[in-house]
Amino acid sequence: MKIFKKCLLAGMTALALLGAAQVASAQETDQVGRAPYLESLKGKKVIFVPISQGMDLNQAWVMVWQRHAARYGFTLEVRDPNGDTNAGIRAMQGAIAEKPDLIIVQNPDVQTYARLLKQAQAAGIKVLQVNMQSATQTDSYVGNDWIEMGRLEMGELAKHCTGPNAVSHKVVWLAGVQTGAANIYMRTGIDEVLKANPELQLVSDQPADYISEKARQITETVLQQHPDLCGIMGIWDNAEVGAGAAVAAAGKQDQVTIVTNGAGAATGCESIKNGLLDVIFNFNAPIQGEIAAQQISELLQHPDRKAGSEKTIFFGPITRVDKTNATGRNCWKPEDIK
Amino acid sequence: MPGSGKSDDRRLGFKASQEVVVVAISVMLFVVFSATLNNFLSQGNIIAILKNVSILGTLAVGMGFVVVGRGIDLTMVAVMVVGVAFSIWISTWGVDFTLAVICGAILVAAIGLFTGVMVAVAEVPPIFATLAIASSVYGSGRIVFASDVLYAPPDIAWLKFVGNGSVLGIPMSVVIFGAVAALMGLFLRKTRFGRLVYATGDNPNAARTTGLPTRPIIVTQYVISALIAFTAGIIMTGLVTGIDTRLYNSSLIYDVLLVVVLGGIGLSGGQGGVRNVIAGTILVGILTNGMTILNFSYTSQNLIKSVILLGALAIDAIINPRDEQTSQSGDI
Repeated sequence: MKIFKKCLLAGMTALALLGAAQVASAQETDQVGRAPYLESLKGKKVIFVPISQGMDLNQAWVMVWQRHAARYGFTLEVRDPNGDTNAGIRAMQGAIAEKPDLIIVQNPDVQTYARLLKQAQAAGIKVLQVNMQSATQTDSYVGNDWIEMGRLEMGELAKHCTGPNAVSHKVVWLAGVQTGAANIYMRTGIDEVLKANPELQLVSDQPADYISEKARQITETVLQQHPDLCGIMGIWDNAEVGAGAAVAAAGKQDQVTIVTNGAGAATGCESIKNGLLDVIFNFNAPIQGEIAAQQISELLQHPDRKAGSEKTIFFGPITRVDKTNATGRNCWKPEDIK
Repeated sequence: MPGSGKSDDRRLGFKASQEVVVVAISVMLFVVFSATLNNFLSQGNIIAILKNVSILGTLAVGMGFVVVGRGIDLTMVAVMVVGVAFSIWISTWGVDFTLAVICGAILVAAIGLFTGVMVAVAEVPPIFATLAIASSVYGSGRIVFASDVLYAPPDIAWLKFVGNGSVLGIPMSVVIFGAVAALMGLFLRKTRFGRLVYATGDNPNAARTTGLPTRPIIVTQYVISALIAFTAGIIMTGLVTGIDTRLYNSSLIYDVLLVVVLGGIGLSGGQGGVRNVIAGTILVGILTNGMTILNFSYTSQNLIKSVILLGALAIDAIINPRDEQTSQSGDI
């Protein structure tokens, strides 16, 4: 009996020691700073107010953020106004009233949410703006350098439409929504290039409203007026396929260069392969999403920092994609991101 | 009374209906643009005008058909985008695209049938019934298809022909618009069913009391308008290789309604026809084309468009003043 008791005691002691050793080793091997990181993200509430979730770039962002949220235990709610500005205002007001830890917002134009963003910051809510900026600067902006985008696109046209071999110096700017941040800033970049290349002649400047049929109609009309058109630049690959269709219908695919930008979805690469588009300046929405995810972590890790006290900007990558490199990571599919 | 003539016209000695006013404005704009804009009068540009209004015009023929019967179909754009998007969506499962289009047409006809039943049998006012159904149809589509923009498979020969083909130099999109308009014109003028649509639109209660099958007539109208909307969607898919469901959020449905009303089909029903739709469509086409050539800004384009359209309606109101007899109940 005594021996049995001793054995039991020894066994229990051994177990206890083993357990203690395990605890000790766990403490020693914990990644530095991981515990506070987990602590700061866990249970936090993030609300995203997009323009519309139906767009390829939005789907990429949210897939990336949902994965990030699921892994680190914060919640991400998407309040989709589906392109309706009034619904967007209500979504923003609702989000502010709920006092989340962070609001992510994609602005439909520079003015609509400008006051609401100030209100949110005043209420102590941190605000991250993605890809479309407001007139109000907030804690962080992740997205395109739109002035650079305008310069790149018009610069591409300048390559084709200046010099002695150019078919003409006539170029077209198929805008999106004229009050949108992308539109306003791209125009600045375009004007810089036009100033540097005075022979370039901007023959049409019409908004296609991000709709392909409208882009097609404008292009069709402009081509009748300027049969020697040299280049077209646009604002979203999914809209400019309409311009490409009009150019193809006129049999001028070799003459007219079509340049646009896009999220880098495989559909854009297909349009390049079909000959509807020539160049897409690809801003790779999944990578943009990752940069924004890093910003989400950054902003959630500093709950004591006053909302709006530090303002940062992160411009994402831009890759020039034509038919030579319309493959691989330049052409993502939603299923690749999951 | 069927047709666009009204009793007032006889007093004036000529047929100064709204249709005539619209045609006169179109001719005037055409002359001004031809004189002032290079290449406006070219064959290519005239074809471009027709091509650019083929979708609007096709939709307006369907809308006009419903309005003649004293209805209104605000579901057309929703049905167009969701019907075609549905076809493309099922074709991504490996279903043959042509078969997928037939499935889309069946779905669209079913939606039209439901709308018709809501209006004719449940007697929900058409403006509310179609507004609500449009929203539900678009909403359901939005949930099912993740993306706003859906691309058709690239190698469908007949779809390419719809987009890029032509018959005797006339683009297929214009040929289809012309065919839909001609068929509808003949149907309304020459068939008994067509005459019944006018009778129902002119005075639904009288039509019913005299024993006309008003309910089946109304249901058929909505089924046909849905199928016409689907046809317009197929034209669009052929032209730009895909369909953008966000068109539902655009002002397209109001443009369609505007073309119909502008052309002279009164919302009170029982009057007008395909000719009015074509008059309205061509005015909008000439106006948009001229302003695009002039490179007017978006805002000023909208302003000028509205002023001219308002002007057309005002001139009509002066020439054809309304009285107890001409303004019927049901006019919006």
